[in-house]
Amino acid sequence: MIDMNSLAGAVALLTSSFEAWLWLIPGLMIGLFFGAMPGISITMAMAIFLPMTLYMEFLPAIIFLTAIYTAAGFGGSVPAVLMNIPGTTSAVATTFDGYPMARSGRHNEALGVALAASVFGTLVSYALLMFLIAPVSRVVLRLGPLELFAVAVWGMLLIGSLASKSMLRGLLAGVFGVLLGTVGFSSAGFIRGTMDIPWLFDGVPVIPAMMGLLAASQLLGLINTKYLISDEASRSISFRKIISGMRMSFKQPFIIGRGAMIGVLVGSIPGVGSSISNLLSYAETKRNAPDSDTFGTGNPKGVIAAESANSSSEGGAMATMLALGIPGGGATAILLAAFAMNNIVGGPSFIANQMDIVYAIIFANFAQAVLLLIVGLGFVYIAGYVVRVPLRFLIPSVLVVAAFGSYAIEGSAAGPITLVVFSVLGWAMVRYQYPVAATVVGLLLGRMLENELARTFQIGRQSIEGIFNYALTRPGALTIFALMLVSIGASAYAKHRRRKKGKTILAEEE
Amino acid sequence: MTNKFSRRDMLRLAGVSAAAATVASPAILRAQSGYPSRPISVVVPFNTGGYNDRLARAFAPMLQPLLGQPLNIVNRGGAGALLGHTFFMQQPDDGYTICLSSFGPYIPLNILTQNATFTVEDFHMINLPSQDYTLMATSADSDLHSIDDVMERIRNDPASVSIGVQPASADLVNLTILMEAEGISTDDLTLVNYDGGGPARNAAAGGVVDVALVGGQGFLPLAEQIRPLLTFSDEQRDGWEGALITNVLGDDAPFVAGSQRGFGVHSSFVENHPDRYQILLDAIETASKDPANIASLEEQQLATTWYGPETSNRQLRSTAALMEQYLDLLVGD
Repeated sequence: MIDMNSLAGAVALLTSSFEAWLWLIPGLMIGLFFGAMPGISITMAMAIFLPMTLYMEFLPAIIFLTAIYTAAGFGGSVPAVLMNIPGTTSAVATTFDGYPMARSGRHNEALGVALAASVFGTLVSYALLMFLIAPVSRVVLRLGPLELFAVAVWGMLLIGSLASKSMLRGLLAGVFGVLLGTVGFSSAGFIRGTMDIPWLFDGVPVIPAMMGLLAASQLLGLINTKYLISDEASRSISFRKIISGMRMSFKQPFIIGRGAMIGVLVGSIPGVGSSISNLLSYAETKRNAPDSDTFGTGNPKGVIAAESANSSSEGGAMATMLALGIPGGGATAILLAAFAMNNIVGGPSFIANQMDIVYAIIFANFAQAVLLLIVGLGFVYIAGYVVRVPLRFLIPSVLVVAAFGSYAIEGSAAGPITLVVFSVLGWAMVRYQYPVAATVVGLLLGRMLENELARTFQIGRQSIEGIFNYALTRPGALTIFALMLVSIGASAYAKHRRRKKGKTILAEEE
Repeated sequence: MTNKFSRRDMLRLAGVSAAAATVASPAILRAQSGYPSRPISVVVPFNTGGYNDRLARAFAPMLQPLLGQPLNIVNRGGAGALLGHTFFMQQPDDGYTICLSSFGPYIPLNILTQNATFTVEDFHMINLPSQDYTLMATSADSDLHSIDDVMERIRNDPASVSIGVQPASADLVNLTILMEAEGISTDDLTLVNYDGGGPARNAAAGGVVDVALVGGQGFLPLAEQIRPLLTFSDEQRDGWEGALITNVLGDDAPFVAGSQRGFGVHSSFVENHPDRYQILLDAIETASKDPANIASLEEQQLATTWYGPETSNRQLRSTAALMEQYLDLLVGD
């Protein structure tokens, strides 16, 4: 599976120029900074620096850009943990447990957990990529609408576990999110729920809506609080605690492995990627954890699951880009452009003939991941000081940054308007105990769910019988559905046993 | 301490400098206008990864040194480019927002089928280097080996072949013409809608749909993974094997040209800022004709031919007229 000649070629390529490696640290720092700014996406950060790479050789250009890519993937988790703002769609699940950890004074640990899980996830995903690039690329194009629909449904299961107290409220919030996700033109050319507002034709702007729902609603609720962490003694910034958080991650190799697996597989599907993989990984981890009740209240396992999956999606997206020449999203489209500038075009013949470059990229990413651990440690140490800022300064600053960010991402007032509308909505939902996270999940998955279902229906000749016949020809989709059922069944059984055990203990005590 | 200048002196001085400024202003203005003085946005009304997106990202670095400003690619996909075109039209016509799109057939389609708020005349084409055509293709390992296989299966059961196609597209018009020649209505076919050429091509390459009808040039990077079946053109294009539409429907076979892609601007920009327009036009022409650029774009399977504004505008207008002729096919009964 590994071609030794190419491997030697890759090592020769990477050691040919020392200068190329000088771009690694700046790339990581740029990525961290931009990734941590709410509203500035990974794509934007890379697009801003793409012109710079015009004046570079191939190797430094790719090292620089992929360093931004890797670091920005982690950068997004910093505001997610500290302020409940998922700067990108890929950090949504990080907020579920990261932010509660920060609020209870475990911000150091949470950041450490996130950093280590990210680095670990990246390492695992690129290691997988080394062996899997050819098979993964063969599978990716074969995924039909039914398979993608199954993936979306799997993601939707998360809504059930986000509804903590009232299941009915959770489902309602989730359905509301799905409906929001279907606003605009469907792929069949129909238009829904736009109220004749032109920028809604493209759907509700997801990132501003998400920032409004998750972050602004939280911050408005904190208006009478003095500090993010009420206990003054807990507001410390400590290397020791960050490192103890990192150690927590290393103790969960199984969760990281599962996250990386989900990340690579989902990340390799064009147009799906890390925004779905972090949700899937979180949902699976929560469902199978013995302490699943504590998820959502600051369980580090939740952060590990989300971060290992979103960072490993990078590896999957790279596999699709290198092996098929198809960019799965904005970030890989930019990498592809950088490749093109050096007359390198991804595709089957590329991985057949130029495996040395593929290995070189993989090795460069190993190095990036390891260095990210060090650079990121410094970064989260500094970022941690946010908890010492009085909220009367922090809340307005964050809202202003979020407003600017939402403008930047949409390029029009549509962003800030969406932010404001969804902030009010989010605040009202929190006030009446509807889980906003369920709405966010629905919003992220709604469009995919609908379009893939519509295509399945079309292929199934627009009849239930046809869909059933079609499903029988798609073993992949059936496998996904079967795995989903097994996973639900197993967790239900485990929960049942735990409950029984709990009852017997109670009975014995009586 | 008294002021050396009286109020009247000041007024006089102000008057003189104002007059001087007026006299000198053309030179100053010219120096300050210095178009472009800030980055230029290139609106691509399609998502990342499609032909337009690849062309924009490949062409931008060639244009940047000539204009002295970076080009930002703004992807505004969705609704058959209606969103992107409408968005582009809403931007100021100051030359800081230009558009790279499949103007033909999407501008006519937007107008004819989607009640767009613009007209063909609102757009001015600088150059449309890429003249695409519809290609019907299947997966490389499909059991459909030729267009005859496809037609035979469709004749037996119109719904038995799943066909990936974008709604309201030139490809759909071509499919309709082909099927009508056989007396088959598109309503009886199994059409699977994709909102982009990229996803539709991926679906064909992966065997998710039996065949897909999409712009042929975008298939080039996937050449190893597909089998071309039918080219909607009267000559062989890009070396694709398989039949031509003229082989199937005869020499006078009707078909619609595929995407005509390239750079366009607001027509009002040409009128209001002729100086800026000239700078932009020269830059695009120079970049398009540079042999090094041509080689690099060809390597990436992207078109470079320079036709110039006159030809390009005529091409778009003629596509618009042709599409209008097939209007009933596009909007249904």
